[in-house]
Amino acid sequence: MTKLIVEDLHLAYDGVKVLEGVSFQLRAGEVVSLLGASGSGKTTLLRAVAGLEQPDRGRILLDGHTLYDAAAGVNRPVESRSLGLVFQSYALWPHRTVAENVGYGLKLRSVPRAEREQRVEKALAQLGLAHLARRYPYQLSGGQQQRVAIARALVYNPPVILLDEPLSNLDAKLREEARAWLRELIIQLNLSALCVTHDQTEAMAMSDRILLLRNGRIEQEGTPAELYGAPRTLYAAEFMGSNNRLSAEVLSVDGEQVLLGGKDWRLLGRALDWLRVGDPAQAVVRLERLRVTDAPGPNRIQAQLSTAMYLGDRWEYLFHQRDLRFRAFGQTPLTAGHDYWIEFPQQDCWVFPEPVAA
Amino acid sequence: MKIAQYLAALATLTAALSPLAAANQPDYYPASYASLVTAARKEGKVIVYAATDTAAARPLVKDFEALYPGIKVEYHDMSTTELYNRFISESAAGSLSADVLWSSAMDLQIKLVNDGYTAAYASPELPRLPAWSYYQNQAYGTTYEPVVFVYNKRLLSPKEVPQTHADLARLIKADPARFKGRITTYDIEKSGVGFTYLTQDVRVGGAATWDIVRTMGASGLRLQSSTGTMLERISSGENLIGYNMIGSYAYAKARKDPAIGYVYPKDYTLVMSRLQAIAKTASHPNAARLWVDYLLSRRGQSLLAQRSDIYSLRSDVTGELTIAELTRQLGNSLKPIQVGPGLLVYLDQAKRLQFLKQWRQAIGR
Amino acid sequence: MTTLNPTAPQLALPAAMPARGGRRPDLLRWLVLGLTALAVLTPLALIVYQSVLDAPFFMPDKALSLDAYRFVFDDLDFWSALRNSLVIASGMLLISVPLGAVLAFATARTDLPGRRWLEPWLLTPVFVSPMVLGFGYVVAAGPVGFYSNWWQGWFGGVPWNPYSLPGIAVIAGLTHVPHVYLYCSSALRNLGSDVEEAARVAGAGPLRVARDVSLPMVMPSLLFAAVLVFFLGFEVFGLPLVLGDPEGHLVLTTYLYKLTNKLGIPSYHLMAVVAVLIILVTVPLVLLQRRLLRNAKRFVAVKGKASRHQVLPLGPWRWAAFGLVMLWLFVTVFVPLSGIVLRAFVSQWGEGVTWWQALTLDNFSGLFEQDNLVRAMVNSFAVGVLGGAAAVFCYTALGLAGHRRHDWGVKLSDYLVLVPRAVPGLLAGLAFLWVFLFVPGLKEFKNSMFCIWLAYTVVWLAYGMRLIQGALLQVGPELEEAARSVGASRARTSRDVTLPLIRHGLLASWLLVFMIFEREYSTGVYLLSPGTEVVGSLLVSLWATGAVEQVAALSVVNVLMVGAGLALALRFGVKLHD
Repeated sequence: MTKLIVEDLHLAYDGVKVLEGVSFQLRAGEVVSLLGASGSGKTTLLRAVAGLEQPDRGRILLDGHTLYDAAAGVNRPVESRSLGLVFQSYALWPHRTVAENVGYGLKLRSVPRAEREQRVEKALAQLGLAHLARRYPYQLSGGQQQRVAIARALVYNPPVILLDEPLSNLDAKLREEARAWLRELIIQLNLSALCVTHDQTEAMAMSDRILLLRNGRIEQEGTPAELYGAPRTLYAAEFMGSNNRLSAEVLSVDGEQVLLGGKDWRLLGRALDWLRVGDPAQAVVRLERLRVTDAPGPNRIQAQLSTAMYLGDRWEYLFHQRDLRFRAFGQTPLTAGHDYWIEFPQQDCWVFPEPVAA
Repeated sequence: MKIAQYLAALATLTAALSPLAAANQPDYYPASYASLVTAARKEGKVIVYAATDTAAARPLVKDFEALYPGIKVEYHDMSTTELYNRFISESAAGSLSADVLWSSAMDLQIKLVNDGYTAAYASPELPRLPAWSYYQNQAYGTTYEPVVFVYNKRLLSPKEVPQTHADLARLIKADPARFKGRITTYDIEKSGVGFTYLTQDVRVGGAATWDIVRTMGASGLRLQSSTGTMLERISSGENLIGYNMIGSYAYAKARKDPAIGYVYPKDYTLVMSRLQAIAKTASHPNAARLWVDYLLSRRGQSLLAQRSDIYSLRSDVTGELTIAELTRQLGNSLKPIQVGPGLLVYLDQAKRLQFLKQWRQAIGR
Repeated sequence: MTTLNPTAPQLALPAAMPARGGRRPDLLRWLVLGLTALAVLTPLALIVYQSVLDAPFFMPDKALSLDAYRFVFDDLDFWSALRNSLVIASGMLLISVPLGAVLAFATARTDLPGRRWLEPWLLTPVFVSPMVLGFGYVVAAGPVGFYSNWWQGWFGGVPWNPYSLPGIAVIAGLTHVPHVYLYCSSALRNLGSDVEEAARVAGAGPLRVARDVSLPMVMPSLLFAAVLVFFLGFEVFGLPLVLGDPEGHLVLTTYLYKLTNKLGIPSYHLMAVVAVLIILVTVPLVLLQRRLLRNAKRFVAVKGKASRHQVLPLGPWRWAAFGLVMLWLFVTVFVPLSGIVLRAFVSQWGEGVTWWQALTLDNFSGLFEQDNLVRAMVNSFAVGVLGGAAAVFCYTALGLAGHRRHDWGVKLSDYLVLVPRAVPGLLAGLAFLWVFLFVPGLKEFKNSMFCIWLAYTVVWLAYGMRLIQGALLQVGPELEEAARSVGASRARTSRDVTLPLIRHGLLASWLLVFMIFEREYSTGVYLLSPGTEVVGSLLVSLWATGAVEQVAALSVVNVLMVGAGLALALRFGVKLHD
């Protein structure tokens, strides 16, 4: 069942186009992430859904009701959209206690006091905040503040919860824990959520589907596995994961199979877009796909190890070969200064045409 | 002996050689006056603290400087209280202060004399001044300014204009609604001058004065701290009649402003005189004497009446603003405020507060 | 890479330098703090000392006594003045706080028409001398004022009376709206939009958001402003001086001024007592303010992200709001200023006068015929421009002395700054007169502008320090730390990093101080002497002597000077508040 429908949304600030025709759907019980670099329009899109920004064109429907329709001149004000929004800064009201912060939405909905207190208590207990109910926000840690912000957004059971970079204000360590916790919470409560993030790992971990936004348009939409494993554009390929990127010339094309040539190397790759012989091209290979070997072989490039870095669960190597520079992972310490042969598996060596204007 | 003779000769010579000084001195001045002038010229200037506007005093200052080239007048104009406070503060601090004090706060001037702040000087003009106008050769009256009623000519018809104190009370009583909040006079708690006038009223007019004050008080009397602010309100029509105002200012304002009219009360007209005194600590004592004499002289007094719009004290000065003209009009009803220790009565705290209390009761505050 | 070695010995040098350069700046710092303490506390001590004597302290026959207190407490005038002061202060509170808050909200958060250009106008009453405003009201709205006459012509009667106690309170309240507006609007601007949006999302309508979130969050600032207005209520002098006379309404400051004369001879001891009593009222208020400020800071610690604010659409109400703003501007700025301007150009006015027949330029040409008035204009300008610069220099020195330090010296300067704020300008001026009369070494300066300048600088210490500290806080601490870490001493860092960075802020402060110095009127009242006249204070003494034409013309000159400063400030984009 579809909860939220966004159709052809356009929005510009003083002539600067921020959204240029975004459409997507959010199904019940689904978590969708809006992923993108800063300036991609992801936060604006979220705020437009919440009603905090007014689009110029398009439609937004929630559970079949129109929230916004430029053509019909409908624009439900923020307060009557009844969505839950968690702010990046948490935006807790400093003059109210935790319980008052959380209970405010219920108060606005004229929930009787007794029920209100009970629901606030329940929400806080769910998030492990029960003991903090009477504190003021400035007395809480960052992680606690975040939970209060979430409790505040959930307490009145909004049909969809909107999360604006919910984890970005937390420390790196805390962030990973919070990520898992948040995902678990969403599953447990069977929430429908729309989440803005600039962090691809976060997006993959949290969501059922990802919308990758670029310059106000959706670059690619799909499950985390689709986005990671089958990018349709160079931008999408590069945005996800850690990558090596090689510039080369297309020497021959045979169906999906492409032969690329550099100064003194040749590689076979998989064409993910339309390529012509003689065109400049870009190859993208995820770091974890490279294999470091001691001997020559097919689709291998000889390179010198510049340095190896120990990361705990693995090693990261940095190789140089003339003007080429690439990184790879492995499980063993290698000797700096030695030459190795690095294998680029053909299926994982994605080739895209060189972007027109770089 | 020889030296003394030589000096005397020199003095005579100097006197002869300074034709201005010699020629412009009245003939009844002593011969030694020339040496006074010489000494004053050495001092080079005289510092005057005055409560008379710089604008009004400018003709006098210019004429004095013309009469005695080489002697500059440093003329500092301030309010009477400020003048007094400033002078005694500076005296106590031993810093440079006034040579001559010229103020309309007659009581404070007499107090300075009594407290020993002033120097005695027998001016050669003394015989030509009214006897009531000076005190102990220290404080000299310089003006003869009637205390008047001022009214708005546009809003008060000529036949309504009160000619006596009793008239004023009658006029107000006849139509209380019309005069509600439209009679103005000094706030005697804020204005020492206003205080003096009212005490003199009581001295001359007796108990009837309190009736008048009560009548005015019942009309919602508007109080101000200065004649100027009262004149402004009367001119605008905000107030209709002003009681106990300085005649000189009323005259000057009436000349420029067709709305202003004033009357000398026929039953009695108080006359105020600005007093001047020489400071004991004067750093230019000789120049100070010249200034004092000049202001009392016929020349100074004529200028006062003709150019400064201030009534002259000397009977040998002619014109509108003179004692002669006022006497012709009012005769015996002129009641000059006596320059003397009588003025000190109300500087006694208890007496003053008692008087203020009586006044406040009368005006109903 | 090879050049690294030769530079190493040089790097070692600065390590030795702090020992050399470190002592002197500290000495300088204590000197600055010490001079400030002296300038602030000496006059205060003199006031307190004078209050327990039975005669002026310089008289030989003085004695320690509490008679002065007894006199004041026995004086009915004192109690009525105290009551009136309370009424006026409360009235100001009731009028300026709600109105100021509404104006701030309307300009900061709604689509009020013309809110951009309105802002400087909203602040004008701050920079216009209350003497000028008061006199303007007499001429414009007094019983026979220009506007009263017009109104009377149309409607028969005039419903207002600027001479009544409520009238004075209303006028004082209206003219203090900008003070509340300033604090409130800057709090609103600093308030993150996210906390308001959070409330919208939770289901609150715009007005509900204003009530439940915006208002409580700017409450600390509002309270701060309320306390400020309340104690300013005890310090108002110009308005009650001009408007209170006709019906005899005294407030504490005018009561004090009246004591100059009441006993016929100087009553410094009585005045000092009133001064002490006023200070006793205001000091706790100032301390309360300090507490409030601390609380406000606690709130700010968790304030949201300040981003682009959504403008609240008022719909048809926007014109009603605009009407309210314009009405306030009309009553508070236009009425008195137009009154005073009209008065300056006519020879007479009032009931039955057709003012265009009385038009004249004599009042202005008269100004230039009198040496003291010409001097006053020159002096005022000089004390604003040169004195303003010198004052900003002093404030900056004191600001730097406390900048990024946390010792008792800073605490001391914090309190020192507060003291003059509690002392009305009139008293401060009087105290400085005594200081200059009797402190050896200062006597020579008594009749010089230095005296006036020093008094101004001390009286406006708190204001100036707020400007300077505001500018100093803009400098990121890491910029200064970077300078220290490469080897600059504190003094050096201030000179080479901090000062250049706050250059613009200093210029802005100079302009603001200029305007405040032009406006200032009460501080100079007792310091006026031939040669040291300033327009603001001369207005007071001319008013007392009744030279109304000169008062009117000088007022216009005064307004023009301040206006020029304001225009310049706007031209250079100086923010009139933080």
